[in-house]
Amino acid sequence: MKVSFPHMGNAYIPLSALLSNLGAEVISPPRPTSRTISLGALHAPEFVCLPFKVNLGDNLRSLQMGADTLAMVSGTWACRFGYYGRVQHQILRDAGFEFDSIFLGRDGLMSVYNRFRDTTSGNLALAWVHAFRAFKHKAEAMDALEKAARRTRPFERERGASSSALAEGLAMVHGASALKDIDRARDGALELLGAIEVEHDREPPLQVAVLGEIYAVLEPSLNFDIERRLGEMGAMSHPVMSVYKWLFRPVKTDLSILVAERRARRAARPYIAYVLGGEEHQTIAGTIDAARKGYDGVLHLYPFTCMPENICRAILPRLEADYGIPVLNLCLDEHASPTGISTRLEAFMDLLKQRRKRR
Amino acid sequence: MVTVGVPRALSYYRYFPLWKALLEGIGAEVVLSRRTAKGLLEHGVRHCVDDICVPVKLYYGHVLDLKDRVDRLFLSRVVSVEKADSETYTCPKLIGLPDMIKGSLEGLPPILEFVVDVQNRSLKSSVRKLARDLDAPAPLARKALARSLSVQSLYEEELLRGVYPEQAMEKVLANGGGGPMGPETGAFFDMNIALVGHEYLIHDPFISHDLPRKLARLGANTILMSQVPKDVLDQELARYPEISWSYEKELLGAASHFLRRPDIDGVMLVIGFACGPDSIVGEIISREVRRPDSPPLTTLVLDEHTGEAGVSTRVEAFVDLIRRARRHPRKVS
Repeated sequence: MKVSFPHMGNAYIPLSALLSNLGAEVISPPRPTSRTISLGALHAPEFVCLPFKVNLGDNLRSLQMGADTLAMVSGTWACRFGYYGRVQHQILRDAGFEFDSIFLGRDGLMSVYNRFRDTTSGNLALAWVHAFRAFKHKAEAMDALEKAARRTRPFERERGASSSALAEGLAMVHGASALKDIDRARDGALELLGAIEVEHDREPPLQVAVLGEIYAVLEPSLNFDIERRLGEMGAMSHPVMSVYKWLFRPVKTDLSILVAERRARRAARPYIAYVLGGEEHQTIAGTIDAARKGYDGVLHLYPFTCMPENICRAILPRLEADYGIPVLNLCLDEHASPTGISTRLEAFMDLLKQRRKRR
Repeated sequence: MVTVGVPRALSYYRYFPLWKALLEGIGAEVVLSRRTAKGLLEHGVRHCVDDICVPVKLYYGHVLDLKDRVDRLFLSRVVSVEKADSETYTCPKLIGLPDMIKGSLEGLPPILEFVVDVQNRSLKSSVRKLARDLDAPAPLARKALARSLSVQSLYEEELLRGVYPEQAMEKVLANGGGGPMGPETGAFFDMNIALVGHEYLIHDPFISHDLPRKLARLGANTILMSQVPKDVLDQELARYPEISWSYEKELLGAASHFLRRPDIDGVMLVIGFACGPDSIVGEIISREVRRPDSPPLTTLVLDEHTGEAGVSTRVEAFVDLIRRARRHPRKVS
């Protein structure tokens, strides 16, 4: 089985570990680029949200690379994401590709479990246990590295040092297979990141919460690597969500994620009374949290026509006034340009700096 | 008497008879916003998030139109409208509509929020809340609910017969929801075109550029999706994997029904730009529902920039193509 799935930040690292431990050959498409996005946009419905187009582009590229099975999360929520797999795979079949679909969430867990009966040689349950452990170790390593890079970036002496160390570290983790090796790779990568030359005598960095639609926050190709941009402008970014949390929320093994979800729902209730099916509660609660923690500003990212985040977008001005925190809304689509984003980001940073001086 | 403003947009087309009977039953006077016009829409667009769908922009316009001339503002929050085994929703924007309005408009009169969430909450409790907000006694509310439900079911029967929403309202409410807007009768029709799309688009003559009448003038008899009975929709829906958006389910079921009906000559899918669920369901209809032997299907996307000429051109072209295809039947090889 040559299986592939669309990108979501660095999620391919733990997911590849999971699938390859189950005996599948993982076809990883190149990280999304503007070519991926235009490829996807060509075949996608006109005003579907941008993640759909990126995912579709990823799928097209992996099919061209020889994938014979496409995996996708699927379900019936109020948000469109649940229908991505169904529509994308139909579009690809209509375009003449032949492949099998795995719909995590729509197909029962057992059918996904049994899917790997032929690819594993020994005991299937044992293979799953082992695969899950590798998945967990890699996800944790990835999360630790991302956090470490985030911490050093605003202070690095040489611009880009943290990001290149992070890339190198992630490659090390991605390359490791045995559990022991994964942990060793993580430690080595953390050392790399720790060895970056920093200047701690700089002004304390601006603190910026990054939130919004989850894919827009987590996928660097979509948000023009906003986290890196912020860091290299000397700001400390605090993303409300992470790939790790996204992966482990449905697994329900990490209690702290579930508690945080609950808390966010409660905090958002005065502004959004009902569940809308997206990350609206994280957006509202994250903004309130940012104000309470005394951050300088909030960056709200969402794809063009995103339903839940557009509702938040209408409500955020009220939060800005109620909690006295500036919010920059960035709407992303296939026509957004890095220059446009940079300009607005720089202006926002200047505003935050001025604001801090006045306080 | 307390005046309560009801925006003439979105769920108005489905539930206005219910709301009007209800509000009047508990002693309020109902004021409808004026019909959509250029100024009203522009006003809405100015106060709204840029990339939200047209119907929501229209809703903003209608709310702003009422703002200064009523004591209370009636906002609906339609969360779920059918009892089913699995969870069903309307669209996130309908669920979050009052939140959006409250969060982004200033100087509104006190809001009466009416929740329709049949999966988790009874209509009775929503009515009780409404009565409390208007200081009406509970027994009065109970009586009003009973009457309004019967008005609503009369209204739905009219819709099922193919009467246009505003005409049907006129009929069941006697004093009505405004001027009549019905199909042109007595004309010569040589084809049946089914309109599949949200009623708040098709039946707002400003935004749809009076699509049903345009078709009638071209000699096409329009069939509405509100004319498809519920059991037929359910039967059609059983053919496809599940969808949880109740209103889009109707679109899918109706499209499937029309695309299989021999007396239908063409199907027009009418969707609003930036409509989330429709972007998915439209694709499902054209890929999963349409078959080689289906009648022609066309999609008409409407937004606040859509010009009259653009709509006319495409509607005329569609009608002409159907006539031409009839004169020159495709040779079966």
